Amino acid sequence: MTTAVPDTPAFDHEFETQDLMINMGPQHPSTHGVFRMVLTIDGELVTDVTPHIGYMHRGAEKLCETMDYRQGIGYMDRTEYLANFNAELSYVMAVEQLAELEAPERAQWVRMILCELNRLSSHFMFLGAFGTDVGVFGTAFTYAFREREFIQDLFEEVAGDRLMFAYFRAGGLAWEVPGNFEARVRETLELSRRGIKDLDGLMTQNEIFRARTEGVGHLSAEDALDWGASGPTLRASGVPMDIRKDEPYLFYDQVEFDVITGEHGDVFDRFQCRVNEMWQSIRIIEQCLERLEPGPIVPDRLPRMLRTPPGEVYCRTEAPRGEYGIYLVSKGGNRPHRLKIRSACLSNLQALRDMTIGGYVADAVVVLGSLDIVLCEVDR
Amino acid sequence: MTNGDADGLEGTIWPQVDACLAGITADPERGAQDLIVTIPKDEIIRGLRALKGNADLAFDYLRCLSGVDWEDEGIDIVYHLYSSTRKLNLTVKTRLPNEDLSVDTATTVWRAANWLERETAEMFGVRFEGHPDPRMLLLPDDMDDTFPLRKEHPLAEIEVLQGEGIAYGEGVQP
Repeated sequence: MTTAVPDTPAFDHEFETQDLMINMGPQHPSTHGVFRMVLTIDGELVTDVTPHIGYMHRGAEKLCETMDYRQGIGYMDRTEYLANFNAELSYVMAVEQLAELEAPERAQWVRMILCELNRLSSHFMFLGAFGTDVGVFGTAFTYAFREREFIQDLFEEVAGDRLMFAYFRAGGLAWEVPGNFEARVRETLELSRRGIKDLDGLMTQNEIFRARTEGVGHLSAEDALDWGASGPTLRASGVPMDIRKDEPYLFYDQVEFDVITGEHGDVFDRFQCRVNEMWQSIRIIEQCLERLEPGPIVPDRLPRMLRTPPGEVYCRTEAPRGEYGIYLVSKGGNRPHRLKIRSACLSNLQALRDMTIGGYVADAVVVLGSLDIVLCEVDR
Repeated sequence: MTNGDADGLEGTIWPQVDACLAGITADPERGAQDLIVTIPKDEIIRGLRALKGNADLAFDYLRCLSGVDWEDEGIDIVYHLYSSTRKLNLTVKTRLPNEDLSVDTATTVWRAANWLERETAEMFGVRFEGHPDPRMLLLPDDMDDTFPLRKEHPLAEIEVLQGEGIAYGEGVQP
């Protein structure tokens, strides 16, 4: 593959080093699922990386083409199991746009609250897993999971399932939220606030953590855009691109929040971006709660079997990992002709080579962790 | 440069796109959300490069690249573009006839096209000429003779393949 050995004359009697290839994954705790990368190393330095994906491919797109629009919702949960609400949202919004349906106001506010809560829970998961990747402490993992569990409990109360919610419907919601929903959200936010503060103190101000992450895995703004990166991975490189701001969906144009960007595009910035985004999510949810009023959660005239006219739509939303897009092509009828899931992690992973080559082997794990990949979403 | 004043394109970015694609055959259509432009496959890369390089449009971000099987009519390759500075969206399409399922690679325009083209290639049996790394992406290496996302490939086929190859093994009756 690559030759890191300089052309030295044989009589120099210098040590000649040979490139070594090591295989990392698919069963490796730091690959966050079944991801394999083949590292070519020269001593401690990485000279080449070949990522291998596809171990989790289940043909979700093909399956969705054989199901009617309502059945597809459950499959979205299974592609993005850490941010299910965000995944469902892209799908139901795509169907709504094709079928020319509009969800009532209350349903949209509830969707916004749940999606932002899901961003919190997903980022908590990141904080915990990332702490373990960096290898400084296992403490972060247990703390982060405790906080995530409070949010997951709330989701269970709303949707009836801990992970595979299937709660959003084209047109609105499956059923009304529990009576104490608002109080429970406020309670959960209070716990999340404490959790973010704890984890922030535990990690951001930790000297070892900073030494491990600052200046590591640099990705420039131009490269990030060229590779199609999105979400915190792109924003950490200093590009203020956020679909919630640029092309507001739901009621994101009616709430105030800041788009968080980084300066250096290194691992620490990607971490910090997510932590700061969590504060913004809390800010958004609080404003949503103020605006939440009683009302219908589905349109008055919702057909039992949803049919769409022929057409196509590419619906994108800002999920915790970046742009989660649904490209839906319809020939008419009750099922999609083609459904393409645009995975944020797939595009982010492409940039992995740029970030790891030239760095240390130990940093490759940290860089991969900082992308916060979900292999189910990558492979679909 | 056709249909310059086609109906139903008011308020879209078609005038800028039309000016940018001077000398390239482009057929506009209003989509549910974004403008859709269809370009013949011989000119597609020239068109995409012009759209990226244009100062007013600057489509520097490839959101998505996918294929759509239209059975007898061929396969569409669809590019979803975005401009990070101008905040504009555009869908570009090209139709590949069934006799010649090949198109030039877009990796020379955006590197983001790399894995997306590998996926489209293995799923639809489309060749991307000049692709720097034309390996399989999601499917196993020996699955290069069947294309799962084509409409002619029924879902049951997969079950049959799995039943024969994996679940029952050689000589074992199901």
